[in-house]
Amino acid sequence: MKHLVPEFEKLRERFPAGFESSLALPCLRRIQEDRGYVADSDIEELAVFLGVPQIQIEEVLSFYTQFRRKPIGRWHLQFCHNVSCSMNGAENVLAHVERRLGIKPGQTTPDGRYTLSTVECLGSCGTAPMMMVNDGYHENLTLAKLDELLQGLK
Amino acid sequence: MPEIFINGQAIEARDDQTVMEVAREHGHFIPYFCWHPQLSVVGNCRMCLVEVEGRGLDIACNMPVAKGMQVFTNSEEVQAHRKAILQFITLNHPVDCGICDKAGECVLQDYHYEYSGQRSLSHDEKVRSTKFYNLSNRILLDNERCILCLRCTRFTHEVSKSMALGVERRGDVSNIRPVEDRPLSEDPYSDNIIDICPVGALLSRQFLHKSRVWFLQPTPSVCPGCARGCTVQIWHRKPEWKLKALDQRQNENIARVTPLDNPAVNGPWICNKGRDLAQMFERVRADEPMLKGRPVTVPAALDEARRLIGAARHPVALVSNWGSNEELETFKDKLGEVFHCFVKQDWQRQPGERIEDDLLIRGDKNPNTTRARELFGHAEPDFKDGTDLVLVWGEGFDFARLPPRAGIIFLNSYLQPENGHADVFLPVSIQTERHGHYTNFEGTISAFEPCFEKKPGVLHAEDLIKALAAPARGHP
Repeated sequence: MKHLVPEFEKLRERFPAGFESSLALPCLRRIQEDRGYVADSDIEELAVFLGVPQIQIEEVLSFYTQFRRKPIGRWHLQFCHNVSCSMNGAENVLAHVERRLGIKPGQTTPDGRYTLSTVECLGSCGTAPMMMVNDGYHENLTLAKLDELLQGLK
Repeated sequence: MPEIFINGQAIEARDDQTVMEVAREHGHFIPYFCWHPQLSVVGNCRMCLVEVEGRGLDIACNMPVAKGMQVFTNSEEVQAHRKAILQFITLNHPVDCGICDKAGECVLQDYHYEYSGQRSLSHDEKVRSTKFYNLSNRILLDNERCILCLRCTRFTHEVSKSMALGVERRGDVSNIRPVEDRPLSEDPYSDNIIDICPVGALLSRQFLHKSRVWFLQPTPSVCPGCARGCTVQIWHRKPEWKLKALDQRQNENIARVTPLDNPAVNGPWICNKGRDLAQMFERVRADEPMLKGRPVTVPAALDEARRLIGAARHPVALVSNWGSNEELETFKDKLGEVFHCFVKQDWQRQPGERIEDDLLIRGDKNPNTTRARELFGHAEPDFKDGTDLVLVWGEGFDFARLPPRAGIIFLNSYLQPENGHADVFLPVSIQTERHGHYTNFEGTISAFEPCFEKKPGVLHAEDLIKALAAPARGHP
């Protein structure tokens, strides 16, 4: 986390004094972007940097499911299983990926290439079913499209 | 000064008040779980919903007063929503009142009887969580009973400032949790969270499964643990629920100690030392007068003490700063001329104890130093040559410091080796056996009441002082 401190100092200028604990969220996002997940040492260092008790960092981390405490695969497949996607066959496409990769949601393939998750609405109901691969959206999914996509993810 | 109407009653409110505060001040009860007069407002329990004409339902705890607002605290709509909220709050509550220490003084239990009374409407199984989670060496946490009002976390953040608690995760799986870098066991005010918990989620290890609260009654008292003199309630078994078959001592035990809300001294809080008064008061007691270690009757001991006082030329008295105002005044009145008096510090700081802070705890670990010094001065005990008698009142004075040839009259409550070394030993009652007042470091006077009977061989210090001042029998 140490090398991010100059960035955090810039962030701090944007917050009123006395609101250090509010900085926890943007700092944690930056840490996850940098490392891929939030390590225990990051929590300790961030608590010291912000001058807040560790529990306040832990509260933020455990509240948002988007934060990860462990490393994940190179490709993070996040399937929406909310109403619109489910009605348009999200279960089918998810089952197909589960079969092809041999993992269940929440798991990572042994080679460390794919991590599979299910998430709530990603705000793309008009193009359901959909998923995210890392930071990109893949919409109107079909089984054929999925096969093609997985070919491209090495 | 906005005028508002609560249930039709016109009330002059202050600008900075909330509807909750105004309603409480004027006797309109609004139920609540998460709100607490000494803590910040979070408004997460939704129990204090009230109806405001033209605005619908909103929570009273977070509603600033506005001119002319019409508030209804018990309209049909409010009642219906309260019922729904209680249904929601008890959704995952185990309803294990039969084995819960809080039963009988549980706010959730009371409100359920008062405002809901329905069975659970849910078909789903209740969420299981941790039971008997070890928060500290004093406190256990039952996450299933917890309704997440966050009073405990706010207490550690805002009052005791130990920052020891927080909430992990969210929704129906969120849990109150401690954090390793700020252990709750190092918070000397931690036990207050047991009192402010509106349900039975936070449990005192000392009191766990010890007694149902309806078998107990509180007696108002004053904590002698430091010069703050916090007002407390000492809980003990009700006489009508006296145990007949078991050990009789159980009827005279301090079951627990809780704060007695007192804005002039301690507010609604006390420190953990005040909770442990039983350890102080329930030490083995001395219950027989002695002459040089030989048990005698009370009149015989008094006679001998009076003879020593009559024969002494330079008697010195070490007066206890655990004596009540009444006892100290009696001593001054009856024996102040006879003895050269010094104030004695009965109790010193224990290893590991917090010395002093800006909340309650004071450096002087005795309850009545203020009044004792007013009456007997600030001088440290000092024995001039020729001191031939010392009256020691109370514990905590090293007898090796006494002049070697002087006679000793010792007034003490507990069984201690010094008792046998005194020429005359007289057992005296303790705070839980008598009436009295203490003057705290700010000059505030608080009263304590007796909860237990004293033993026949034990005397109240006030009676004892009067008896010592009376002329010896046969020598008018």
